Amino acid sequence: MLEIKNISKTFHPHSVNEVRALQDVSFSMQKGSFVIIIGTNGSGKSTMLNAVAGTFLVDTGRITLSNTDITRWPEHRRATLIGRVFQNPFSGTAPTMSIAENLALASRRGLPRGLGWNLNKDLMDQMRGRIRTLNMGLEDRLNNAIGSLSGGQRQALTLLMASWLKPELLLLDEHTAALDPKSADQVIQLSHEIITRDNLTVLMVTHSMQQAVNLGDRIIMMHRGKLLHDLTGAERKRVRVDDLLSRFEEIRRKELLDPAAAAMLQRNYI
Amino acid sequence: MNLLTSAFALGLILSLLALGVYISFRIFHFPDITTEGSITLGAAICAVMLVKGIHPIIATVAGFVGGGLAGATTGVLHTKFKLHGLLSGILVMTALYSVNLHVMGKSNVPLLSARTLPSIAEEIGAKFVKTSTRLNFLGWELNQQDFFVVGASFLFVTVVSVLLYFFFRTNLGTAMRATGDNPQMIRALGANVDGMIILGLALSNGLIALSGALLAQYQGFADVQMGIGMVVWGLASVIIGEALVGSQSLGLLITGAIMGSILFRLLVAIALRWGLNPNDLKLITALFVFAALILPNLLRGKMRKAVK
Ligand SMILES: Nc1ncnc2c1ncn2[C@@H]1O[C@H](COP(=O)(O)OP(=O)(O)OP(=O)(O)O)[C@@H](O)[C@H]1O
Ligand SMILES: [Mg+2]
Repeated sequence: MLEIKNISKTFHPHSVNEVRALQDVSFSMQKGSFVIIIGTNGSGKSTMLNAVAGTFLVDTGRITLSNTDITRWPEHRRATLIGRVFQNPFSGTAPTMSIAENLALASRRGLPRGLGWNLNKDLMDQMRGRIRTLNMGLEDRLNNAIGSLSGGQRQALTLLMASWLKPELLLLDEHTAALDPKSADQVIQLSHEIITRDNLTVLMVTHSMQQAVNLGDRIIMMHRGKLLHDLTGAERKRVRVDDLLSRFEEIRRKELLDPAAAAMLQRNYI
Repeated sequence: MNLLTSAFALGLILSLLALGVYISFRIFHFPDITTEGSITLGAAICAVMLVKGIHPIIATVAGFVGGGLAGATTGVLHTKFKLHGLLSGILVMTALYSVNLHVMGKSNVPLLSARTLPSIAEEIGAKFVKTSTRLNFLGWELNQQDFFVVGASFLFVTVVSVLLYFFFRTNLGTAMRATGDNPQMIRALGANVDGMIILGLALSNGLIALSGALLAQYQGFADVQMGIGMVVWGLASVIIGEALVGSQSLGLLITGAIMGSILFRLLVAIALRWGLNPNDLKLITALFVFAALILPNLLRGKMRKAVK
């Protein structure tokens, strides 16, 4: 399904600001699987998702999605296969445009956009139906500007937009991190419903160990641009929040060692 | 023509400029200064073709196309060569100065007896009304010819702005508006943002050149200097329009830009009548735009202080 082979990405190469955000990462996931990525700040989780989404082209390596090599595809072309929800609720919607217009744009994700009328009655009815399932009372406010909604409402709509046309792959980058706990729960609940209903293939980044344990069927832990742990199958089923926390603690202890010893330890460890 | 009538006609013609500026500045948030070259380009292409006896409609459309190409060039410089938006516009505007001189062959092309859209409007009008040469329109004493020129301009601008409104409600047009609003979002939904910007600037400068083509026909000449200050004039109209309609809705904003342009021209005409030195016009317009841009923020700051 998604296959990542030896990808690397270095930002600002050969400068003092050089960041090796992804270092020879390989990873593959099957159709219908739900993989959760966790890791410390700056470990490369977003960079990994961005590499798949095509925000930038990787320096080396190959990315294959649905048997298509998309390594050199620009971002907008990959959008034919990928649906996306960002961390920032402002990123996923056009604020001055109405709810209906935003959804209509999403209803043509990856399709040609010509001189056809953007909003028609059928589409509006369909929207009302799908928005009603959010239970946010937004179905009567289709013509309101999205900018007037709360962050939680915007994320819920972005999720609806990203999955309006069933994507081959859904990317969620800490899409509840900017929300208050109640809205975050609501959006997570909604994500779960949509993902199971449409049997979507999902790659999701989260900071919440609770979410990592409750959702998905596989957990990947990143550190310094590399995959550190990959929990699948029985190991994944057994894992608890405390286990994940202790793995973070492990990393923290290792970081305290001197760099040379740490490097050696890491070589032996991984 | 009397002062008010000509201000009205000018306002209508330059409302296409305002619509172009609205697209680049407001929809795409792109400070596009290509305007000053493309309005002249539209006038130059149209004037030269008219002098050669080509039908005014074809000449006018050619002006539109020329402006579109100029805008697309700015878009390519910005998106493909990653130049700053302002710089892209400055480069194309500067290059257009030479291009316009080449198109015209000299710095000024008078239209003298050439057949133009206004002269056609007058001809058609003359067929309908044969009697008096002075009309009374809503208590406004009008020369018959002027009436038809203003009427034709009104019709033309209405058709163009209705088309524009419909365009911005299509799938393509909506994606364009979203590009200005949130490029990250529309890219994630599969639209080619670079393409949208290039197309949008082409449309914007096409309209601006169309305005130039009409302006040349209306005033009876094209001049290589006629673009100077046009960005600020367009902006002033857009700002007045926004204040008039006070709304975010597309249809009202388009209507507002047109009304803003007409009101702006009327204000200018009145100021000139009151003895404003024409040389000060651009200075005063620039000051007006400056004030209009900073006043809302200042007022908001004042209010916040007052609340505290
Ligand atoms: N566009 C960019 N330009 C330069 N450096 C970048 C860019 N994007 C990411 N980085 C750097 O790459 C590293 C990995 O960043 P990334 O955003 O992938 O981390 P993350 O795991 O998502 O962290 P967080 O949990 O804070 O979101 C960081 O050091 C970051 O500063
Ligand atoms: Mg991140």
